[in-house]
Amino acid sequence: MAVSLITYATVVFPLHGGDVRAPSAVFDQIFEVFLLLGTAVGVVVVAYTMYHALKYRDDGAGTDPYADKVERPEMGEMPTGGAGGRKVFYSFSISAIIVVSLIAWTYSQLLYIEQGPDLAQEEALEIDVEGYRFGWDFVYPNGHTTNTLYVPQDRVVRLQVTATDVFHNFGIPELRVKTDAVPGQYTSAWFTANETGTYAAKCYELCGSGHSLMTTDVVVMPQDEYEEWYAETNETDAGGNETATAAETDQRITAEATALGGAPA
Amino acid sequence: MDWKGYTVIYVVLFAFATAQAVVEFAGLVDSAYWAAFALIMVLSVIKAVGVAAYYQHLRWEPRAVTYLVLGGTVAALALTGAAAYSIL
Amino acid sequence: MSQEHEHGLPPKSSVSRWFLTTNHKDIGVLYLITALFFLVFGGVLALLFRLELISSGADLLGSMGYNQAVSTHGLLMVFWFISPFAFGFANYIVPLQIGADDLAFPRLNALSYWLYLFSGILMGVSFFQGTTFAGGWTMYAPLNTPAYIPGEGLGATSVVLALIMFTAAVTLGSVNFLTTMYRMRAEGLRMRDIPIFSLSINLTVWMMLFAFAALLAALMILASDHILGTTYFQYSIDGTTMATDADNPGASLLWAHLFWFFGHPEVYIVFFPALGVMAECFQTFTGRRLVGRKWFIISMVLVALQSFVVWMHHMFLTGINLPIKTIFMATTIGISLPFDLMVFSLIYTMAKGRVRFTTPFLFSLGALILFIIGGITGVFLGAIVLDYQFRGTYWVVAHFHYVMVAGATALFGGLYYWYPKITGKMYNETLGKIQFGVYFLGFNLLYFPMFIAWETPRRVFVYPDGLQIWHSMATAGGFILGASFLIMFYNLFMSLWRGEDVGPNPWEYATSAEWAVSSPPPLENFPGVPSYATGKLEFLDDETVTERTERAPGAAAHGHAATDGGTATDGGAVTARAAATATAMEPAHETAGEEHASHASFWPFLVSLGGFIAFLGLSGVRTGSVFYLSLAAVGGVATFGSLVGMTREPFHAPEMAIAERWPFERVEKMKLGMWTFLASDIVLFGAFIGSYAFVRVAYGWTAWHHDLIPAEHVTMPGLINTYLLLTSSFLVVLAMVAAERESKRGTVAALVGTFALGVGFLINKGLEWQHLFHISTEAFPNGWGLSTNIASSTFYLTTGLHGAHVTIGLIICAYMTIRAWNGAYQGDDRAIEYFGLYWHFVDIVWLFLFPLFYIL
Repeated sequence: MAVSLITYATVVFPLHGGDVRAPSAVFDQIFEVFLLLGTAVGVVVVAYTMYHALKYRDDGAGTDPYADKVERPEMGEMPTGGAGGRKVFYSFSISAIIVVSLIAWTYSQLLYIEQGPDLAQEEALEIDVEGYRFGWDFVYPNGHTTNTLYVPQDRVVRLQVTATDVFHNFGIPELRVKTDAVPGQYTSAWFTANETGTYAAKCYELCGSGHSLMTTDVVVMPQDEYEEWYAETNETDAGGNETATAAETDQRITAEATALGGAPA
Repeated sequence: MDWKGYTVIYVVLFAFATAQAVVEFAGLVDSAYWAAFALIMVLSVIKAVGVAAYYQHLRWEPRAVTYLVLGGTVAALALTGAAAYSIL
Repeated sequence: MSQEHEHGLPPKSSVSRWFLTTNHKDIGVLYLITALFFLVFGGVLALLFRLELISSGADLLGSMGYNQAVSTHGLLMVFWFISPFAFGFANYIVPLQIGADDLAFPRLNALSYWLYLFSGILMGVSFFQGTTFAGGWTMYAPLNTPAYIPGEGLGATSVVLALIMFTAAVTLGSVNFLTTMYRMRAEGLRMRDIPIFSLSINLTVWMMLFAFAALLAALMILASDHILGTTYFQYSIDGTTMATDADNPGASLLWAHLFWFFGHPEVYIVFFPALGVMAECFQTFTGRRLVGRKWFIISMVLVALQSFVVWMHHMFLTGINLPIKTIFMATTIGISLPFDLMVFSLIYTMAKGRVRFTTPFLFSLGALILFIIGGITGVFLGAIVLDYQFRGTYWVVAHFHYVMVAGATALFGGLYYWYPKITGKMYNETLGKIQFGVYFLGFNLLYFPMFIAWETPRRVFVYPDGLQIWHSMATAGGFILGASFLIMFYNLFMSLWRGEDVGPNPWEYATSAEWAVSSPPPLENFPGVPSYATGKLEFLDDETVTERTERAPGAAAHGHAATDGGTATDGGAVTARAAATATAMEPAHETAGEEHASHASFWPFLVSLGGFIAFLGLSGVRTGSVFYLSLAAVGGVATFGSLVGMTREPFHAPEMAIAERWPFERVEKMKLGMWTFLASDIVLFGAFIGSYAFVRVAYGWTAWHHDLIPAEHVTMPGLINTYLLLTSSFLVVLAMVAAERESKRGTVAALVGTFALGVGFLINKGLEWQHLFHISTEAFPNGWGLSTNIASSTFYLTTGLHGAHVTIGLIICAYMTIRAWNGAYQGDDRAIEYFGLYWHFVDIVWLFLFPLFYIL
């Protein structure tokens, strides 16, 4: 893997001009549909439940309005089922159809998220991400390493994520990309940002005292600015000027925690 | 089952254990690893079934006891198989 | 309640009764009270961190304090509150519902309770050992190993040991409940006919039996990493190598697999009893039979089975491959569907009913509504694309609280429902309804805003400012929810004195057998032998029973006396298993004439106390401190001594004269208990072997042998040990044959031979280990010890666990040899047979360890 990354050292930076469907768009669409349907189903089922509970409530009159229609259970009887099983099956079938078709529909979207856009046309920028307590190292194809993630706008970015100490999880919530950072394993995820700006990356798996503060910036730059920045990093090696050591990160965490009024153990 | 039957089972178990070691001493593990693997594991399974069926009397118990044992075995195999497959 | 026939049990007003009792109803009450204590414990922790979350970055607990509070809140609620609370009802109600006079092994039941209580105390003690466990209730590796635990980390080790103790309690309980439910049902009561609450408990214990065995494996491995220095969960040994060059690349994922293989069934283990309570309350308070009962039951069975093949949906982002993701997505969706059916079944049960909004019904209905919301939001997680983004966020937190605490809601309904049965008094209905109102409001105010603020990462105290309003609301909701319990405690406590006396059945339309006897029921539950033979509950008098048993001579054989003892605790408390198994070997204490069932024993308490001291000692042995070492020694001796005492104590727990026993009619209860226990032991060893296979696959199956194992590790010692064990198995069988033929000399000779061969096995293993520890080669200059690499860790720990099983077997074997010498077992070889089941099982395990660890 590392070898293939080095071959990107003198990579050209193709643009996709924003026509790649970003993971965030996929997420938003599915989430919206689920929210709408979920709310609708929830309201209907809860209302239906309450309707039954209230309609058949005992009015306290002491008479059984359904005495001639139904037989009431008696003390000591062998448990048996009540009538009305058919309605249960109808309702169950409707719910099963909704659930199964919803999930089936999302499966095709999953394949897109798993495989990413067609890479033959969209040469992706590959960045290695290493989580450690309590920060991130981003290793670019030329070996340059930063603690802040710099990426160009409108370009597919593929992350190879791992961790060097404990289990972390790397996520950029606004860009809807997230993957586990597991020591000893590589996971991959991709995203593309259509707008420049600074986003937040966070750790989503409890990793120790500094977990709450294990955040970093993701800077999305216009293509030319990024190229300029990247060109300058070419001379630097893997021990790049911007890398914080774990000790420095600990200091940062401590400082931030102190600013918040506490001290991590 | 009387002691003669138990003895026959014992002899078979003893022979199979020896056979497993022979597979290794013959160098099959080095030359054809997966064939040796399959052979050795099959021998182990046969031995285990023999002990369970005769020494633990599963043959003569209600089938439900066998299902109970199989339940545990299937659960353990599901864990092993699926977990190992997931990272292949 | 009259005291004159309590068979040596002091009255309820006496403190000593509660330490001595083995009666299922007393133990049920103990479980309920203890579980409520842990609810308060876990609840206060939750309030502490909710207080911190009132605004982003507020600092109340410090970051490690916060992590500890979050982690122990989860552990306490999941392990020490919700399941034991449900098992309080299970203890009290299940024997009554199925027509049994107690559980099959009353002393083991008491032992379960005391192990549970002391495991909780050990959990509490961990707070005072520096820091307690702070790695989240999911305990992900390698944050759960000492290398990443600040300070000495003894508190964290104590938590792991407390969980092992808890798991031992659960395993004992599962064996006990299964044996009870398959051997002690009232005549005419087929499995499908038992009341839905008992049925839900039956399926729950089935899941427990297997799921907790996997958890036990995970915890034992973790404890070994903590105490013995194995490296299962460390991906690299010196902590400096890069992940890609790691010695053990499967470390982190191994924990995730083991934990979630347990963890997902655990969700249903928690929820099923609640479902059972809901179904009971719906039937009683609507005056309708459960609609589609058959399908309701089939759904539950399907869920119980499927629960073992959905665990990887907790691991979608760990890099598992797409085919396995697809399979687990399908099984996950599949497992959600039976719940839809159950929900509709409950809804339609209300139709044409006479719905009475009593407190238990309000809680049940509330639980149903909360569960519907929890279920719908769970479907979101089934869509993997959404799941990816929900991973590690408050969406997950909100969803599982809506499900799990919905379950707790139903259980609180159960508390009101059975309160009059347990106490003989009626609670205050108005206060009950007020509590429900406050509870329901607090619940939704607490958890619903979490859906809106779902972008908050889990287990952090810093979140985006825009979400503050929702977190503040949640905190307020938490306090309202907490306050509702003050009302409940007040109500239930005061009603003990002020409550109206109730007769056998305060609820119109209740049908199950617990309502047919007085409140509280008498010590031995029923005025006669319960029977459903005519399709309706009756109590048979002694004459009828004698008549029936004479008519069916096969059935009479079951009336013989059998001691309680049972199979074993689990490997966690190794010595506990030893003598508990030995207890099983103790045949009936012959007594002349009619003997009443026993109800009192002090030993379960002492065994658990000893275990607690031993485990507390173990938590600190790696520091070498004399204090901890002596605690471990004293505790070990105390445990062993009290187990011997328990084994030798005459205790009478007769099998029922007439009972429905499908499908285990011909399997006497001790044998069934032993087999059930062995089934869980299969999963324990299976998980150990599975762990070995997994880390080996992760490393590279074939490179493993070449890279990590010294040439000095040869086949021969393993082959010799295989011969020794096979021969010893053969001798146990011969001992049985000899006992059958009443040859005392033959029996003793065969048992002595078994013992000698077992000792030979251990000596051979010891020599082999000594050799490997001290080799000095180019590849392994410092020997091949437990910590050398992952291959040595798996080798020593797996064969070590097996060796521990052998050792326990030898202790039992020695005990039985002495008894055989004194003339026991002649003409009745059952005890030898049951010991044989265990011994042959240990043999079978070796048949797989030998090739896997010596040849391949």
